[in-house]
Amino acid sequence: MSSTLHPDSELMNLIDRIAEQDDSALKELYRRTSAQLFGLALRIVRHRDTAEDVLQEAFLSVWRGAGSYRGALSPPMAWLGLIVRSRALDALRKRTSDRADLMNELDDDMAQVLEGDSPNPMDTADASEQAFALHHCLGRLENKQREVVSLAYLRDMSHGELAEQLKLPLGTVKTWIRRGLEQLRSCMARYA
Amino acid sequence: MNITQHPELLDRLAASYALGTLRGGARRRFETLAREHATVRAAALVWQTRWSGLTELQPAVEPAPAVWTRIDNLVQAGKSQAAMQAARADAAEAAAREPSAGGWWRNLLVWRGAAAAGAVATLAAVVVGVQVNGGLKATTGAQIASLQQQLQATPQIQYVAVLADAKADASMLVTFDPKNNQLVLQRVGGFQEGDDKSLQLWALPPAGGPRSLGVLGNDKLLKLTAQEGDVKEVPTLAISLEPRGGVPSATGPTGPVLFKGALIRKAT
Repeated sequence: MSSTLHPDSELMNLIDRIAEQDDSALKELYRRTSAQLFGLALRIVRHRDTAEDVLQEAFLSVWRGAGSYRGALSPPMAWLGLIVRSRALDALRKRTSDRADLMNELDDDMAQVLEGDSPNPMDTADASEQAFALHHCLGRLENKQREVVSLAYLRDMSHGELAEQLKLPLGTVKTWIRRGLEQLRSCMARYA
Repeated sequence: MNITQHPELLDRLAASYALGTLRGGARRRFETLAREHATVRAAALVWQTRWSGLTELQPAVEPAPAVWTRIDNLVQAGKSQAAMQAARADAAEAAAREPSAGGWWRNLLVWRGAAAAGAVATLAAVVVGVQVNGGLKATTGAQIASLQQQLQATPQIQYVAVLADAKADASMLVTFDPKNNQLVLQRVGGFQEGDDKSLQLWALPPAGGPRSLGVLGNDKLLKLTAQEGDVKEVPTLAISLEPRGGVPSATGPTGPVLFKGALIRKAT
């Protein structure tokens, strides 16, 4: 893989230019990554207006904080993803404390997610190699295991919170996560 | 038991820790171990990195075009604010060096600095203005989004500004319709200038001095003729209080600046 053509290098160059307050680089980064990052925000907060606010906040924080990227030692999409996840979790906590009826909405949304035959997503050319490995290993899990493990991470939820929101027995959630983790561990070990 | 001697268990705990499902006392014990053993820290870091890949694996969804416009407006407002603060610092330095160099030019720099300091207030002013004019509600982001949507829904209007006073009370809503070369100003506050005074609208381009866009009459709804070039790339509009009939554009404002605000471009 040529270092000049690798998508990571292109994104890193954009982030370096953003650190120098080049707004055309910010625009290009947004063009390249906003759909992927918006999908992530939407998956965490499940609410379009909130997800748009999260995306806006995340890009403004990239604009202000791009100088710290190199020190993070992360692939660029993972770095951007963590910024969006952190903002989305803040928004989720705020919404949860603002609105007691939120849980009911989430229940409905996620009940659908889990009933459906949710495919293993991944439609980006910019994903890092570590994400490809994870994608491959997640693909070996049953849909429900994959879903519960993903939600635990993305929404930072405990076994109890997952059981409550997914309307599943606590024991079932624990079993799915434990089995999912075991399979992922042995699969990911091959990519060390 | 020394956990570093049990790689299997360490890996399992590190994976749960980084996933977030290791909670309570078990989590605190793991954190203590991580502080004591670099091996434990390394295992946690490996899994944090692996799980972060999940953020890259979600299905892509296109955000509404207004999101980028909002980001760009805020970035541009921040940039002009920084530039104006620099200009104000320069002006203060120049004034300290040569006190006689005052006159309208110094006033202008101080004025532009004030406009910069008002950038945050200006955002609030946009919000206030929308409430006054459109009766819209909800939080800042949603209001700006609503304003954008209003703009989207009104095809001929491509620029809008809400000019506010120092207390961030909206006093003037400005829209520009490039098709008809028309600036429309709507008074929304209670301000009324005296008979011997006129309000004058100025564009504050990022470089160069203010340019007059026209003198306002007494009507509630005012229309001025302007070319798109007059407002394009202009981050801020301002209104000064001038002698009746206004002053020539080249003179620059001579009276106090009463209202100012950021000019927002509609998403294309």
